[in-house]
Amino acid sequence: MVKKWLVSFMNDETAPLLRATGLSKYFPLESGLLASLRGARAAVKAVESVSLDVYAGQTLAIVGESGSGKSTLGRLLLRLMLPSAGHVQYKGENIFTMNRARLQAFRRQAQIILQDPYASLNPRMRVGRIIREPLDIYREGSKAEREKRVHALLERVGLTSVQARAYPAELSGGQRQRVCIAAALALSPQIVIADEPTSSLDVSVQAQTLNLLSELQRDFNLTYVFITHDLGVVQHFSDRVAVMYLGKIVEEAPTETLFAAPQHPYTQVLFSAIPKPDPSRRVNWEPPKGEPPSPLDPPSGCHFHPRCPQVLAACSSIVPSLQTTAPGRRVACLLYESDVEPPRA
Amino acid sequence: MSLLSVRNLTTEFLSGGRWLEAVSDVSFDLQRGEILGLVGESGCGKSTIAYSVMRLLAGNARISAGEVWLEDVNLTEADEDTLQDLRGSRLSMIFQDPMTALDSLFTVGHQVIETLQEHLSLNMTEAQERALALLRQVGIPAAEERLNAYPYQFSGGMSQRIALAIAISCHPQVLIADEPTTALDVTIQAQILHLIRRLLVEEQGSGVLLITHDLGVVAQVCDRVAVMYAGKIVEFGDVGSIFNNPLHPYTQALFNSLPSQGVARGALENIQGRVPSLADRPTGCHFHPRCNHARAICREETPHLRSATDGQEVACVLYE
Repeated sequence: MVKKWLVSFMNDETAPLLRATGLSKYFPLESGLLASLRGARAAVKAVESVSLDVYAGQTLAIVGESGSGKSTLGRLLLRLMLPSAGHVQYKGENIFTMNRARLQAFRRQAQIILQDPYASLNPRMRVGRIIREPLDIYREGSKAEREKRVHALLERVGLTSVQARAYPAELSGGQRQRVCIAAALALSPQIVIADEPTSSLDVSVQAQTLNLLSELQRDFNLTYVFITHDLGVVQHFSDRVAVMYLGKIVEEAPTETLFAAPQHPYTQVLFSAIPKPDPSRRVNWEPPKGEPPSPLDPPSGCHFHPRCPQVLAACSSIVPSLQTTAPGRRVACLLYESDVEPPRA
Repeated sequence: MSLLSVRNLTTEFLSGGRWLEAVSDVSFDLQRGEILGLVGESGCGKSTIAYSVMRLLAGNARISAGEVWLEDVNLTEADEDTLQDLRGSRLSMIFQDPMTALDSLFTVGHQVIETLQEHLSLNMTEAQERALALLRQVGIPAAEERLNAYPYQFSGGMSQRIALAIAISCHPQVLIADEPTTALDVTIQAQILHLIRRLLVEEQGSGVLLITHDLGVVAQVCDRVAVMYAGKIVEFGDVGSIFNNPLHPYTQALFNSLPSQGVARGALENIQGRVPSLADRPTGCHFHPRCNHARAICREETPHLRSATDGQEVACVLYE
């Protein structure tokens, strides 16, 4: 019975492929001077009660400044670390309670691409072996078949078979990122989490890499979670966007809607701070004020209130919850809660 | 007279027993009260120009031709004493990574005061007052207490403010800013760029050479821009002209490869191949192997910057 329900659930087109519910990650500050000053139970709340859905074949972008918790969230979604609270369901199944066999099956369907292709490749392994390793681990086909697959992957990502013999040091940054992409795709995953995959690349190489990722998505019906701080990339590449500030999602919306009319004051500030490559739209900027606060000691109420241009008296005490303001659109801000008086100018 | 004048600068690096050109025959002028952008992808020689101007090149590099003038001083021929006097006073620099630019063993107050006393005849009290005023100018909250703090106690954005305070402490005529906001978040980037424009350019009429790979930053803060490719300036001119009507095929390709606002989702135009390394720069126009408009002549002849339109120079045979 349960199985039947599960099957129907899995076939449901509208069910999310990946769903996070109340996901939190706290890093305790157990030892050292800081802990003794702040009390032993102090913790950095890197991710705090995050709930979000990722739909098959789509790209969800997670944006935020450094320290917003976006990379930690990415790692939680793949069970590369365990959460302090909450859970993640992949096709309806909680990834944190999976047994070894189920987890192995999950791991081959969910892969990650990291920011720094210099650091994420073993310098002593040849490119061919790096790409073959996942196939070896999962004992995919015969040895000859694996070799064939490696060469097919190399070609698919725009490298040549000859480069299977190369060491990472012999390749450029863009080529290394292609190797990372090939290795991530070796097991034909369904979902790929890409953590700042193009941040370390030059613009022309970034464009090549983004084009490749988008072709691969089309060809293999891949689902992407794109973690980035580059809003140009977000706008170009994603279907939906979740904006994070200090461990929380403050706004989530379809990409076009978000860029057309950002609702949360933080999203507005963030967008206005992006230098637009258009001198005729030069902002005579009064730049955003303040710095992102330390996650060690976040402000009370809404974490953004000390920097917020539209702050209300209640913002320092009330923690706004993520409210649905339109279909597919959520925002965590008192300005959009119906029972709070709007500010009078 | 221009504030800073770079004339036919060629800088080489020693590699495997050979001297390789990192910067080839580069000329430009920086005027008072302007921000001149120097853009290009990594390895195109932007930072090498900065270090050549500052005369801070490493031991395996040399200026093999050309001159750099700071008003009436020939920097390429100046001796180390003269350079020491100029650096930090008339000529200053800030770097990409503010954490490594500051000395972690001394308080930030010490570091600001050290620069002040090196170049200006101030007693300790005066220097302290100046340092405090500088920290306030660059927007350090609770500046009085923060004078006694060490660099590790500051965030990246705050460290860059301190580095900027030191750089502007003696009212430099020229500031070279090498990717000053690349390591910072966008909201902090906006603040730092705003400070550079207000404190240096608007209030003191200094000239700023801003090295960046971010075309958005160029569009927002620069007056003129030099686009570099493989050690050469391929296009130079007013920011408005170049952004509205990029002429060089490389500049065009660079703009088209930007994933930017208002452009429909779809394949980004990209430049095939990659920036050539110092050791195997192509003959003729360095861009020809990647250029859609390349002709036979591009392989043989090196194009020179020529005036193409009002306010725009380009180095490409298409416009000769």
